[in-house]
Amino acid sequence: MTGRTTFGIRACTWVWLIMMGLTLTTYLIGQFSLGGLGVSLTVLAFALIKGQMVGDYFMGLKRIRGFWRWPVSLWLFLPGGLIGVAFTLVG
Amino acid sequence: MQVEATIESNRFPPGDLAIWVFILAELAAFAAFFGAYAFTRMKNVELFNHYQSTLDSDAALINTFALITSSYFVVRAVASIREDDSRGCVRWLMAALTMGALFLVVKGHEYVHHIEAGIRLSTNTFYMFYLSLTFFHFMHVIMGMVILAAVAVKASKGGYNDREHTGVETGASYWHMVDLVWLILFPLVYIMR
Repeated sequence: MTGRTTFGIRACTWVWLIMMGLTLTTYLIGQFSLGGLGVSLTVLAFALIKGQMVGDYFMGLKRIRGFWRWPVSLWLFLPGGLIGVAFTLVG
Repeated sequence: MQVEATIESNRFPPGDLAIWVFILAELAAFAAFFGAYAFTRMKNVELFNHYQSTLDSDAALINTFALITSSYFVVRAVASIREDDSRGCVRWLMAALTMGALFLVVKGHEYVHHIEAGIRLSTNTFYMFYLSLTFFHFMHVIMGMVILAAVAVKASKGGYNDREHTGVETGASYWHMVDLVWLILFPLVYIMR
């Protein structure tokens, strides 16, 4: 995936930049002491998106067919679901 | 024949399959930890929110940037060796190790601060989870750095090339797992309230 470029920038570099941007947004949410269910689930969603990007583009699982395509996605669903349910139940 | 070989190779993740079994076991342990944190927090919301606000989120931001960037450098190292560029591979691995070292220094500084403040595992439930979760991850960063360093040494001696670089992909996969876990840990422990 590193060979393809958009605007002269490698695909993996775009992925890195997007993950850095999502991380900075998450940090700023914390800095403004934003809380509540909606904010928490948004922050969680950012984390899951970044995790999926690591699995797909950094680990290279996007190119894999069959069983090994899914473990990271399923793993993200497991703690993501548990955390989401726990925060939702608290409200 | 070559098409069949390509299809076969695309059925398995990069690196040694054994490391992936190990990675899945590690991920399962961290998933249990994260679930335990979230459900314990349900009964102690005010305590968790209060002590979460005492953590250094600036340090956590630096560490998240460091791990994401190190993972990116490792991707570039794998790309280099696939192009038979051993020297490039070593350079990217050294850059990734530097980011890993930055993570250890920043996190170590946080631990020193906590110890000086008298914070222990027994201080309260939040710190029990915070210290054990982050230290468990801290040990994985050290393990990952040892693996990447070993790969870099072998690469510097010409031990990998564009045809045989399973070792580089194996080390890279483990390092990405370390990054992956932190991406959930960071918002859960430092931000979500």
